[in-house]
Amino acid sequence: MTTTDDHQTSAPTGAGQLPRTIDVTDDQRVPFARLVAVETRKSFDTRAGRWLTISIVGLVLVVVGVGVFAFPDDAQDYVSLLGVTGGVLGYFLPILMIMLVTSEWSQRTGLNTFTLEPRRTRVIGAKITAGLGLAVVVLALGAAIAAVGVLLSPANGGEAVWNLGYNEVQNFSLSSLIGVLVGFALAMLLRSSPVAIVVYFVYTFILPGVVAALGALVDGFDKVAPWIEFNTAQTPLFTGDYRATGEEWAQIAVTGLIWLVVPFVLGLWRLVRAEVK
Amino acid sequence: MIEVTGLTRTYGGFTAVDDVTFTCEPGRVTGFLGPNGAGKSTTMRVMVGLTPPTRGRVTIGGHLYRDLPNPGRHVGVLLDAGAQHAGRTGREILTLGARSMMLPRSRVDEMLHTVSLTDDEAGRRVRDYSLGMKQRLGIAHALLGDPEVLVLDEPANGLDPAGIRWMRDLLKGYARRGGTVLLSSHLLNEVELVADEMILIGRGRIVAQGDKQSLLAGAHHGEATTIVSALDPTALATALRACGLDPTPEGNGFKVAATTAEVGRAALEHLVVLTELRNGAAGLEDLFLELTSDTQRETAGAAA
Repeated sequence: MTTTDDHQTSAPTGAGQLPRTIDVTDDQRVPFARLVAVETRKSFDTRAGRWLTISIVGLVLVVVGVGVFAFPDDAQDYVSLLGVTGGVLGYFLPILMIMLVTSEWSQRTGLNTFTLEPRRTRVIGAKITAGLGLAVVVLALGAAIAAVGVLLSPANGGEAVWNLGYNEVQNFSLSSLIGVLVGFALAMLLRSSPVAIVVYFVYTFILPGVVAALGALVDGFDKVAPWIEFNTAQTPLFTGDYRATGEEWAQIAVTGLIWLVVPFVLGLWRLVRAEVK
Repeated sequence: MIEVTGLTRTYGGFTAVDDVTFTCEPGRVTGFLGPNGAGKSTTMRVMVGLTPPTRGRVTIGGHLYRDLPNPGRHVGVLLDAGAQHAGRTGREILTLGARSMMLPRSRVDEMLHTVSLTDDEAGRRVRDYSLGMKQRLGIAHALLGDPEVLVLDEPANGLDPAGIRWMRDLLKGYARRGGTVLLSSHLLNEVELVADEMILIGRGRIVAQGDKQSLLAGAHHGEATTIVSALDPTALATALRACGLDPTPEGNGFKVAATTAEVGRAALEHLVVLTELRNGAAGLEDLFLELTSDTQRETAGAAA
């Protein structure tokens, strides 16, 4: 008397005819450009994200304004104003970059992001591209604001000096690029917004001070410092004639390996293997 | 179709998933049932490539998840409805998904409609969503790419009774059209009504699997149990013994290790008037607790 039971258990609701495999021969990967577009969109589709960018540009406006109306006449040239602009952006652009990565963990959106594109290096590549694109746009905006500042400088006794040369452009771009990439590496390594931001500020604010203090206290340390500390190594890019010697480039390369390449590779390695929860 | 083979995931000395093997068939809803911390979520994360397995593998439609070129088009995933940026609107989250899968934007409105989120609700930030609304949004996101396979972790969590009914109908309909559904829950009642097939997991190991009937049959080692009572209990006991059955007193009547048909026939042959005749097998809940008792607390296992 178990026929009814048997009937129910063995009725596969037509499962026999259903395909058990998924045909992916006609499938195409999502183009990289689309991933970049999505990652860029993510930087602006929340109030917090929009305001971070707006605040950074606003801060540049304020700093350039202060420069034009409060700096001595001979410090209102384009390179000086671009210098303070670069200073502000150097501190805050990396935060934009850090948030691109860490928000996937802090807001747990990584569950969606990495299931829709399980090849994580593609996502990371898209984030770097989106972040660099954003950085370039903000830098250009900063340069434009500084230029307006130069135009306004005669109002405060300045002479609207357009003294921008190739070296200055190269150095500003290079150091900004380095800054955002260090931020990105720290973000991959630490995967937490507050921790990554604090570590970035320690690296960029406190470390150079400590190195300078050590240089003053310890005999010969000032000779070693440019070979081990990235900020110190980059100093020649912004002082004197904005030109680095061969040895100084070598110092930038060596410290870059320590402070950028190694954390970046390690961060990428960790992120690709990390569990997304 | 989802095929999990010898899946193990350890964290240091702790084994979260221990040599798990099962299959989810197309056209069926498979319920993945177990107490909290049994390894359901870990198994599902491994399925979709978020957690690397220590050993074993999972294929979906014959492919490793990471080998699917555009996985969102084939596998709809909802692992945690709360895992969304609180500052994004529901519509924006679906738009990001649609763009990531190369879908037309019209798909976003279709899915909002499917899960009954109004335009007004879709325009609100997820921060202001109830858990039930987040679940609906998560289902919408999982369905965006019109996938053949659904992997849903605790999808009914936070839904009101009407929402649970809606979800049940949705998943049943989806399976009827040939889809493969795997849904997890720690609540038996949610799964029991919708799942064609159930996988019971406790402490990282599969403790039982099959459909409801075979699970119940297996729990009692194939022995049926019947609860029966009669106007004249003494006559009933005599009748049962005459048919070779062994009644044990229970409440007003007896408990008999036989099917209801056998007990009914015995009563009929001896012209005993029955007042009650029913299947006395333990419910799925008893089975679930029994099978997973050692994972709940040691004392419960010892007492049982």
